[in-house]
Amino acid sequence: MKSIPHKRSREVEAWLKREITEQKARYRKIVAEQDALEPKRTKWVAEFLQRIQSRGTHVHFNIMRKVRPEEIPVQPKRKFRVVV
Amino acid sequence: MARPHIEPFVDRDVSFRKFTMPGFPKGMQYKMLSLDPDNGACTMTVMFEPGYRQPPGMSYSEYELFIMTGSITVGDKVHGPGSYFMVPAGVSIGALSSPRGATGLLFYNYGEPSFVESDSDHPRAERHKFAVVNSYDDMQWTSTNFFPATAPGCLVKVLHFDERTQAFTFLYCMTPNFWQDNISYHDCAEEAYHIWGTSWMMQFGDLPTGGYFYRPPYINHGAFGCKLGTLAIGRTDSRLYNHFHFNPWTNVEENRERAASRVQHWMPDLYKWINTHGHNHPVDFEFTHGHAHGDTPHHHGDGMVEHSHKKKRRRRK
Repeated sequence: MKSIPHKRSREVEAWLKREITEQKARYRKIVAEQDALEPKRTKWVAEFLQRIQSRGTHVHFNIMRKVRPEEIPVQPKRKFRVVV
Repeated sequence: MARPHIEPFVDRDVSFRKFTMPGFPKGMQYKMLSLDPDNGACTMTVMFEPGYRQPPGMSYSEYELFIMTGSITVGDKVHGPGSYFMVPAGVSIGALSSPRGATGLLFYNYGEPSFVESDSDHPRAERHKFAVVNSYDDMQWTSTNFFPATAPGCLVKVLHFDERTQAFTFLYCMTPNFWQDNISYHDCAEEAYHIWGTSWMMQFGDLPTGGYFYRPPYINHGAFGCKLGTLAIGRTDSRLYNHFHFNPWTNVEENRERAASRVQHWMPDLYKWINTHGHNHPVDFEFTHGHAHGDTPHHHGDGMVEHSHKKKRRRRK
Protein backbone atom coordinates (compact mmCIF):
# COMPACT_ATOMS: atom_id res chain seq x y z
CA MET A 1 0.00 0.00 0.00
CA LYS A 2 1.94 2.98 -1.33
CA SER A 3 -0.83 5.47 -0.76
CA ILE A 4 -4.18 5.39 0.97
CA PRO A 5 -7.18 6.66 -0.98
CA HIS A 6 -8.46 9.94 0.42
CA LYS A 7 -10.26 13.07 -0.69
CA ARG A 8 -8.29 16.24 -1.33
CA SER A 9 -9.53 19.49 0.10
CA ARG A 10 -10.01 22.57 -2.05
CA GLU A 11 -6.96 24.17 -0.39
CA VAL A 12 -4.80 21.20 -1.31
CA GLU A 13 -6.03 21.32 -4.91
CA ALA A 14 -5.17 25.04 -5.03
CA TRP A 15 -1.70 24.41 -3.60
CA LEU A 16 -1.06 21.72 -6.23
CA LYS A 17 -2.31 23.94 -9.04
CA ARG A 18 0.09 26.69 -7.98
CA GLU A 19 3.01 24.29 -7.78
CA ILE A 20 2.23 22.79 -11.18
CA THR A 21 2.20 26.25 -12.76
CA GLU A 22 5.53 27.11 -11.16
CA GLN A 23 7.03 23.81 -12.27
CA LYS A 24 6.08 24.55 -15.87
CA ALA A 25 7.98 27.84 -15.64
CA ARG A 26 10.95 26.07 -14.02
CA TYR A 27 10.96 23.51 -16.81
CA ARG A 28 10.98 26.21 -19.52
CA LYS A 29 13.89 27.94 -17.81
CA ILE A 30 15.87 24.70 -17.67
CA VAL A 31 15.24 24.04 -21.37
CA ALA A 32 16.45 27.56 -22.23
CA GLU A 33 19.58 27.17 -20.09
CA GLN A 34 20.35 23.79 -21.63
CA ASP A 35 19.85 25.14 -25.15
CA ALA A 36 22.38 27.86 -24.32
CA LEU A 37 24.87 25.18 -23.28
CA GLU A 38 24.89 23.73 -26.80
CA PRO A 39 28.32 25.10 -27.95
CA LYS A 40 30.06 23.66 -24.88
CA ARG A 41 28.17 20.39 -25.26
CA THR A 42 29.28 20.07 -28.87
CA LYS A 43 32.89 20.37 -27.70
CA TRP A 44 32.36 17.84 -24.87
CA VAL A 45 30.79 15.33 -27.28
CA ALA A 46 33.70 15.69 -29.72
CA GLU A 47 36.19 15.11 -26.89
CA PHE A 48 34.21 12.09 -25.67
CA LEU A 49 34.17 10.53 -29.13
CA GLN A 50 37.96 10.97 -29.27
CA ARG A 51 38.54 9.51 -25.79
CA ILE A 52 36.50 6.35 -26.42
CA GLN A 53 38.72 5.64 -29.44
CA SER A 54 41.99 6.22 -27.61
CA ARG A 55 41.34 5.26 -23.96
CA GLY A 56 38.14 3.29 -24.48
CA THR A 57 34.55 3.26 -23.27
CA HIS A 58 33.40 1.69 -20.01
CA VAL A 59 31.60 -1.60 -20.59
CA HIS A 60 31.37 -2.85 -16.99
CA PHE A 61 33.07 -1.47 -13.86
CA ASN A 62 36.74 -1.15 -14.85
CA ILE A 63 36.41 -3.07 -18.10
CA MET A 64 36.85 -0.79 -21.09
CA ARG A 65 37.10 -1.33 -24.79
CA LYS A 66 38.42 0.90 -27.54
CA VAL A 67 35.81 1.93 -30.09
CA ARG A 68 36.84 1.52 -33.72
CA PRO A 69 36.55 4.61 -35.98
CA GLU A 70 33.84 2.96 -38.08
CA GLU A 71 31.71 2.48 -34.95
CA ILE A 72 31.59 6.18 -34.16
CA PRO A 73 28.00 7.36 -34.64
CA VAL A 74 27.10 10.18 -36.99
CA GLN A 75 24.99 13.03 -35.64
CA PRO A 76 21.46 12.92 -37.09
CA LYS A 77 20.03 16.08 -38.65
CA ARG A 78 17.27 16.49 -36.04
CA LYS A 79 17.65 18.90 -33.13
CA PHE A 80 19.80 17.52 -30.30
CA ARG A 81 17.55 17.78 -27.25
CA VAL A 82 18.90 16.73 -23.86
CA VAL A 83 15.91 17.82 -21.76
CA VAL A 84 12.90 15.80 -22.86
CA MET B 1 1.49 12.48 -17.27
CA ALA B 2 4.16 11.74 -14.71
CA ARG B 3 6.81 14.11 -13.40
CA PRO B 4 8.57 16.08 -16.15
CA HIS B 5 12.27 15.95 -16.82
CA ILE B 6 13.79 18.44 -14.36
CA GLU B 7 17.53 18.45 -14.99
CA PRO B 8 19.48 20.22 -13.72
CA PHE B 9 17.91 22.34 -11.01
CA VAL B 10 19.97 23.94 -8.26
CA ASP B 11 17.94 24.67 -5.14
CA ARG B 12 20.59 27.14 -3.89
CA ASP B 13 19.30 29.48 -6.59
CA VAL B 14 15.88 29.84 -4.95
CA SER B 15 14.72 30.81 -1.47
CA PHE B 16 12.86 28.75 1.07
CA ARG B 17 9.22 29.67 1.52
CA LYS B 18 6.62 28.79 4.07
CA PHE B 19 4.98 25.41 3.72
CA THR B 20 1.28 26.18 3.94
CA MET B 21 -0.16 22.80 3.00
CA PRO B 22 -3.29 22.23 5.09
CA GLY B 23 -2.78 19.89 8.03
CA PHE B 24 0.90 20.66 8.59
CA PRO B 25 1.96 22.69 11.61
CA LYS B 26 3.57 26.09 11.11
CA GLY B 27 7.34 26.34 11.10
CA MET B 28 8.31 24.33 8.05
CA GLN B 29 9.70 25.86 4.86
CA TYR B 30 10.34 24.23 1.52
CA LYS B 31 11.75 24.40 -1.99
CA MET B 32 9.92 22.30 -4.56
CA LEU B 33 12.28 20.13 -6.57
CA SER B 34 9.82 18.12 -8.67
CA LEU B 35 6.13 17.32 -8.66
CA ASP B 36 3.87 14.82 -10.39
CA PRO B 37 0.92 16.84 -11.75
CA ASP B 38 -1.36 13.81 -11.63
CA ASN B 39 -1.01 12.40 -8.15
CA GLY B 40 0.87 15.22 -6.36
CA ALA B 41 3.89 13.04 -5.54
CA CYS B 42 6.84 15.36 -5.04
CA THR B 43 10.34 15.87 -3.72
CA MET B 44 11.22 18.92 -1.66
CA THR B 45 14.13 20.39 0.21
CA VAL B 46 12.69 21.29 3.61
CA MET B 47 13.76 23.39 6.56
CA PHE B 48 12.37 22.88 10.04
CA GLU B 49 12.61 26.23 11.80
CA PRO B 50 14.15 26.24 15.29
CA GLY B 51 11.40 25.30 17.72
CA TYR B 52 9.37 23.36 15.13
CA ARG B 53 6.89 20.97 16.73
CA GLN B 54 4.68 18.43 15.04
CA PRO B 55 2.28 16.14 16.92
CA PRO B 56 2.17 12.38 16.25
CA GLY B 57 0.66 11.77 12.85
CA MET B 58 0.56 9.94 9.53
CA SER B 59 0.57 10.64 5.80
CA TYR B 60 -1.70 9.15 3.13
CA SER B 61 1.37 8.60 0.95
CA GLU B 62 4.55 6.72 1.66
CA TYR B 63 7.34 9.21 2.30
CA GLU B 64 11.06 9.29 2.95
CA LEU B 65 12.89 11.90 5.00
CA PHE B 66 16.64 12.48 4.93
CA ILE B 67 18.25 14.90 7.37
CA MET B 68 21.10 16.97 5.91
CA THR B 69 21.90 19.50 8.63
CA GLY B 70 20.80 20.09 12.22
CA SER B 71 18.66 17.53 13.98
CA ILE B 72 15.11 16.46 14.66
CA THR B 73 13.74 14.62 17.66
CA VAL B 74 11.15 11.90 17.10
CA GLY B 75 9.72 10.53 20.29
CA ASP B 76 12.70 10.77 22.61
CA LYS B 77 15.41 10.05 20.05
CA VAL B 78 17.54 12.70 18.37
CA HIS B 79 18.31 12.19 14.68
CA GLY B 80 21.15 14.19 13.16
CA PRO B 81 22.68 14.52 9.69
CA GLY B 82 22.51 11.34 7.65
CA SER B 83 19.35 10.09 9.36
CA TYR B 84 16.96 8.44 6.97
CA PHE B 85 13.31 7.59 7.58
CA MET B 86 11.18 5.35 5.39
CA VAL B 87 7.58 5.90 6.48
CA PRO B 88 4.92 3.79 4.74
CA ALA B 89 1.49 5.29 4.07
CA GLY B 90 -0.65 5.42 7.19
CA VAL B 91 2.16 4.74 9.66
CA SER B 92 1.99 7.16 12.57
CA ILE B 93 5.31 8.50 13.76
CA GLY B 94 5.74 10.01 17.19
CA ALA B 95 5.84 13.70 18.01
CA LEU B 96 8.54 15.39 15.92
CA SER B 97 10.39 18.50 16.99
CA SER B 98 13.47 20.41 16.01
CA PRO B 99 14.64 22.63 18.88
CA ARG B 100 17.55 24.10 16.90
CA GLY B 101 16.27 23.60 13.38
CA ALA B 102 17.20 21.21 10.58
CA THR B 103 17.25 20.86 6.81
CA GLY B 104 16.42 17.74 4.89
CA LEU B 105 14.83 16.19 1.87
CA LEU B 106 11.24 14.95 1.81
CA PHE B 107 10.19 12.46 -0.82
CA TYR B 108 6.42 11.89 -1.14
CA ASN B 109 6.50 9.04 -3.57
CA TYR B 110 2.88 8.26 -4.43
CA GLY B 111 0.73 11.25 -3.48
CA GLU B 112 0.76 14.86 -2.38
CA PRO B 113 2.18 15.77 1.04
CA SER B 114 -0.37 15.15 3.75
CA PHE B 115 -0.36 15.12 7.51
CA VAL B 116 -3.13 13.75 9.70
CA GLU B 117 -2.71 14.07 13.44
CA SER B 118 -2.99 10.59 14.93
CA ASP B 119 -1.17 8.57 17.54
CA SER B 120 -2.16 5.29 15.94
CA ASP B 121 -1.63 3.74 12.51
CA HIS B 122 -4.23 3.76 9.74
CA PRO B 123 -5.84 0.28 9.40
CA ARG B 124 -4.13 -0.15 6.01
CA ALA B 125 -0.67 0.88 7.22
CA GLU B 126 2.23 -1.51 6.69
CA ARG B 127 4.07 -0.84 9.93
CA HIS B 128 6.64 -3.59 9.28
CA LYS B 129 8.06 -1.52 6.40
CA PHE B 130 8.87 1.46 8.61
CA ALA B 131 12.64 1.97 8.85
CA VAL B 132 15.06 4.46 10.39
CA VAL B 133 18.82 4.41 9.97
CA ASN B 134 21.70 6.84 10.35
CA SER B 135 23.37 6.36 7.00
CA TYR B 136 26.50 8.33 7.95
CA ASP B 137 27.31 6.54 11.20
CA ASP B 138 25.76 3.10 10.87
CA MET B 139 26.37 2.05 7.27
CA GLN B 140 29.49 1.54 5.16
CA TRP B 141 30.16 2.28 1.52
CA THR B 142 29.96 -0.62 -0.92
CA SER B 143 30.60 -0.97 -4.62
CA THR B 144 27.51 -0.93 -6.80
CA ASN B 145 26.46 -4.52 -7.38
CA PHE B 146 24.58 -3.98 -10.62
CA PHE B 147 25.71 -5.65 -13.82
CA PRO B 148 26.94 -3.86 -15.80
CA ALA B 149 28.30 -1.63 -13.06
CA THR B 150 29.31 1.98 -12.84
CA ALA B 151 33.05 2.68 -13.03
CA PRO B 152 35.27 2.21 -9.95
CA GLY B 153 34.96 5.14 -7.57
CA CYS B 154 31.18 5.31 -7.42
CA LEU B 155 30.11 3.84 -4.08
CA VAL B 156 26.69 3.38 -2.54
CA LYS B 157 24.80 2.79 0.68
CA VAL B 158 21.37 1.30 0.00
CA LEU B 159 18.87 2.91 2.36
CA HIS B 160 15.71 1.26 1.11
CA PHE B 161 14.87 -1.50 -1.34
CA ASP B 162 11.33 -2.28 -2.44
CA GLU B 163 10.95 -6.04 -2.88
CA ARG B 164 8.18 -5.79 -5.39
CA THR B 165 9.25 -2.95 -7.70
CA GLN B 166 12.99 -3.12 -6.94
CA ALA B 167 12.85 0.64 -6.54
CA PHE B 168 15.57 1.76 -4.19
CA THR B 169 16.87 4.78 -2.36
CA PHE B 170 20.57 5.15 -1.89
CA LEU B 171 23.31 7.41 -0.76
CA TYR B 172 26.10 7.55 -3.31
CA CYS B 173 29.47 9.15 -3.56
CA MET B 174 31.92 9.75 -6.34
CA THR B 175 35.54 9.74 -5.29
CA PRO B 176 37.81 12.62 -6.35
CA ASN B 177 38.78 12.30 -10.00
CA PHE B 178 35.99 9.83 -10.75
CA TRP B 179 35.29 9.39 -14.43
CA GLN B 180 33.15 7.11 -16.51
CA ASP B 181 33.33 7.29 -20.27
CA ASN B 182 30.04 5.93 -21.52
CA ILE B 183 26.43 7.03 -21.87
CA SER B 184 23.76 5.43 -19.74
CA TYR B 185 19.99 5.27 -19.56
CA HIS B 186 17.58 3.25 -17.47
CA ASP B 187 14.12 1.71 -17.69
CA CYS B 188 13.24 3.46 -14.45
CA ALA B 189 12.85 7.09 -13.48
CA GLU B 190 15.53 8.34 -11.13
CA GLU B 191 16.13 11.43 -9.08
CA ALA B 192 19.13 12.63 -7.12
CA TYR B 193 20.24 15.53 -4.98
CA HIS B 194 23.81 16.66 -4.35
CA ILE B 195 24.35 16.99 -0.60
CA TRP B 196 27.89 18.14 -1.23
CA GLY B 197 30.16 18.42 -4.25
CA THR B 198 30.04 18.97 -7.98
CA SER B 199 29.86 16.36 -10.68
CA TRP B 200 29.71 16.75 -14.44
CA MET B 201 27.69 15.11 -17.17
CA MET B 202 28.29 15.54 -20.87
CA GLN B 203 24.66 16.53 -21.57
CA PHE B 204 23.95 18.84 -18.66
CA GLY B 205 27.29 20.26 -17.50
CA ASP B 206 28.10 20.74 -13.80
CA LEU B 207 25.73 19.75 -11.00
CA PRO B 208 26.92 21.51 -7.83
CA THR B 209 25.99 21.24 -4.15
CA GLY B 210 22.21 21.63 -3.94
CA GLY B 211 21.88 20.35 -7.51
CA TYR B 212 18.96 18.09 -8.27
CA PHE B 213 17.47 16.14 -11.14
CA TYR B 214 14.34 14.13 -11.80
CA ARG B 215 14.96 12.08 -14.91
CA PRO B 216 12.20 10.00 -16.54
CA PRO B 217 13.16 6.64 -18.12
CA TYR B 218 15.30 6.25 -21.25
CA ILE B 219 17.05 9.62 -21.14
CA ASN B 220 20.75 9.64 -22.00
CA HIS B 221 23.18 10.80 -19.32
CA GLY B 222 26.94 10.54 -19.28
CA ALA B 223 29.87 10.59 -19.79
CA PHE B 224 30.52 11.42 -16.16
CA GLY B 225 33.25 13.16 -14.22
CA CYS B 226 33.91 14.48 -10.73
CA LYS B 227 37.05 16.40 -9.77
CA LEU B 228 36.80 16.79 -6.00
CA GLY B 229 34.26 14.18 -4.91
CA THR B 230 30.51 14.24 -4.41
CA LEU B 231 28.06 13.03 -1.80
CA ALA B 232 24.49 12.60 -3.01
CA ILE B 233 21.21 10.82 -2.38
CA GLY B 234 19.34 9.09 -5.18
CA ARG B 235 16.10 7.23 -5.67
CA THR B 236 14.56 5.14 -8.44
CA ASP B 237 10.90 4.23 -8.97
CA SER B 238 11.63 0.66 -10.10
CA ARG B 239 14.52 -1.61 -11.03
CA LEU B 240 17.64 0.17 -12.26
CA TYR B 241 19.53 -1.37 -15.14
CA ASN B 242 22.46 0.41 -16.75
CA HIS B 243 21.89 0.40 -20.51
CA PHE B 244 25.35 1.58 -21.56
CA HIS B 245 26.30 2.79 -25.02
CA PHE B 246 28.33 5.55 -26.69
CA ASN B 247 25.94 7.27 -29.09
CA PRO B 248 25.32 10.81 -27.76
CA TRP B 249 22.41 11.50 -30.09
CA THR B 250 19.91 8.70 -29.50
CA ASN B 251 16.51 9.81 -28.25
CA VAL B 252 14.02 8.35 -25.78
CA GLU B 253 12.13 6.36 -28.42
CA GLU B 254 15.31 4.78 -29.77
CA ASN B 255 16.57 3.99 -26.29
CA ARG B 256 13.26 2.39 -25.29
CA GLU B 257 13.20 0.39 -28.51
CA ARG B 258 16.72 -0.85 -27.82
CA ALA B 259 15.75 -1.81 -24.27
CA ALA B 260 12.75 -3.78 -25.55
CA SER B 261 14.95 -5.49 -28.13
CA ARG B 262 17.34 -6.46 -25.36
CA VAL B 263 14.50 -7.97 -23.31
CA GLN B 264 13.54 -9.94 -26.40
CA HIS B 265 17.04 -11.42 -26.54
CA TRP B 266 17.66 -11.79 -22.84
CA MET B 267 14.27 -13.28 -21.91
CA PRO B 268 12.89 -14.67 -25.18
CA ASP B 269 10.34 -16.98 -23.59
CA LEU B 270 8.91 -14.28 -21.33
CA TYR B 271 8.90 -11.77 -24.18
CA LYS B 272 6.95 -14.17 -26.37
CA TRP B 273 4.49 -14.93 -23.58
CA ILE B 274 3.83 -11.23 -22.94
CA ASN B 275 3.29 -10.60 -26.63
CA THR B 276 0.98 -13.50 -27.30
CA HIS B 277 -1.41 -13.32 -24.35
CA GLY B 278 -4.43 -11.14 -25.07
CA HIS B 279 -5.16 -10.31 -21.46
CA ASN B 280 -1.80 -9.35 -20.12
CA HIS B 281 -2.33 -9.47 -16.42
CA PRO B 282 0.51 -11.38 -14.83
CA VAL B 283 -0.02 -12.28 -11.22
CA ASP B 284 2.85 -12.48 -8.79
CA PHE B 285 2.05 -15.29 -6.37
CA GLU B 286 4.08 -13.53 -3.69
CA PHE B 287 1.93 -10.41 -3.78
CA THR B 288 -1.72 -9.57 -3.70
CA HIS B 289 -3.54 -9.81 -7.00
CA GLY B 290 -3.41 -6.47 -8.82
CA HIS B 291 -7.13 -6.18 -9.47
CA ALA B 292 -7.81 -6.29 -5.77
CA HIS B 293 -5.97 -3.06 -5.11
CA GLY B 294 -5.74 -1.72 -8.65
CA ASP B 295 -2.02 -1.18 -8.21
CA THR B 296 -0.69 -3.45 -10.94
CA PRO B 297 -0.29 -1.95 -14.41
CA HIS B 298 -1.82 -4.30 -16.96
CA HIS B 299 -3.76 -4.14 -20.20
CA HIS B 300 -6.46 -6.05 -21.98
CA GLY B 301 -4.76 -6.62 -25.28
CA ASP B 302 -4.83 -2.94 -26.21
CA GLY B 303 -1.53 -1.95 -24.60
CA MET B 304 -3.25 0.66 -22.42
CA VAL B 305 -1.67 -0.02 -19.06
CA GLU B 306 -2.67 3.30 -17.48
CA HIS B 307 -6.20 2.41 -16.51
CA SER B 308 -7.97 1.43 -13.36
CA HIS B 309 -10.86 -0.78 -12.41
CA LYS B 310 -13.86 0.24 -10.45
CA LYS B 311 -14.78 -1.97 -7.58
CA LYS B 312 -17.35 -4.48 -8.72
CA ARG B 313 -20.58 -4.47 -6.81
CA ARG B 314 -21.64 -7.81 -5.48
CA ARG B 315 -25.14 -8.84 -6.33
CA ARG B 316 -27.32 -9.67 -3.43
CA LYS B 317 -28.68 -13.17 -3.56
